[in-house]
Amino acid sequence: MKQSPSVKKSVRCSSCRSREVVIIANVKIAVIDEDIVVRDFIVSALMYSVNRDVMAFDDGFDAWVHFEESGFPDMIVADVNLQEIDGLTLLDKVKQASPKTIFILFSDSPENEVLARKQGADAFIAKPFGVNELFNLVQTFVVEGGMSEDRPAMP
Amino acid sequence: MAAARNAANPIRKAVPKEFDMLRLGSKPEGMREMDLDDIFLSRLQLLVIMAKAYLSQYPLGLYRERSILENVAFVKTDAEGLAEDIERFGYDESIPSGLTFEPVFYQRVKLLTVMAEAFAKGHSLEDHKQEALEQNIDAICEAITFSKKISEMQFLQVA
Repeated sequence: MKQSPSVKKSVRCSSCRSREVVIIANVKIAVIDEDIVVRDFIVSALMYSVNRDVMAFDDGFDAWVHFEESGFPDMIVADVNLQEIDGLTLLDKVKQASPKTIFILFSDSPENEVLARKQGADAFIAKPFGVNELFNLVQTFVVEGGMSEDRPAMP
Repeated sequence: MAAARNAANPIRKAVPKEFDMLRLGSKPEGMREMDLDDIFLSRLQLLVIMAKAYLSQYPLGLYRERSILENVAFVKTDAEGLAEDIERFGYDESIPSGLTFEPVFYQRVKLLTVMAEAFAKGHSLEDHKQEALEQNIDAICEAITFSKKISEMQFLQVA
């Protein structure tokens, strides 16, 4: 079980007015949800945000098997209601195997928010949510949370 | 248990200490399953952000381009379906919420998808096309933000 590397470097941006932008190399994100419409929306928003491929799984068991075989991602965004291994169980297993992995749960039930907090989720997103919540995750955990270096200089 | 984990997790360093868990999204009383209307509006919002980022000359990349094209495909299909529904069942402006926009709104959304597809495929938009893109974004944003046109809100014209 290996943790994926997050290599970081800063380069000068030629096309935008910023003096410097932060490149987040190899940040690995996985999205797990049975609902393909919701899952694909989350994948699109996160893929656009970080300009990296985002893994997608439709159940907790497949995701867990993949993580054990190929290494744990830097961030997991999962629905609580999943087949085989539900989101809360997966949170517990992932945090034991890879404590550095950021685990974010989302749900349409307030009861699951209490359980997510109790079991040590890094964030909880209450449905329905939009693109701002997903950008907020990237800003909080990827940009400000240690997966990238300095924030880009303002123009 | 959560506190112990957080202490050992360097990625947590930027999260303010008072938050043991970041909470985002709807208020507890408003929590519900997301429907296709939620996804359409969220994806449309994402498409507007993508277009604004292009107009601001933010860099694209392989996966950003892929993400834009995937988003375009979804929004285009949905907008066409919703426009067909209006043609078939008529436009009912008395319905206060939901996706009951004027038919021209869906034409504007389709135009946005065409423009987004063009810049995602590397075709640069000339100045007048960028201006048209900006105007189109403004019109779409006005439609999804206000139930009435902003010009009809007289109270905003005085301070």
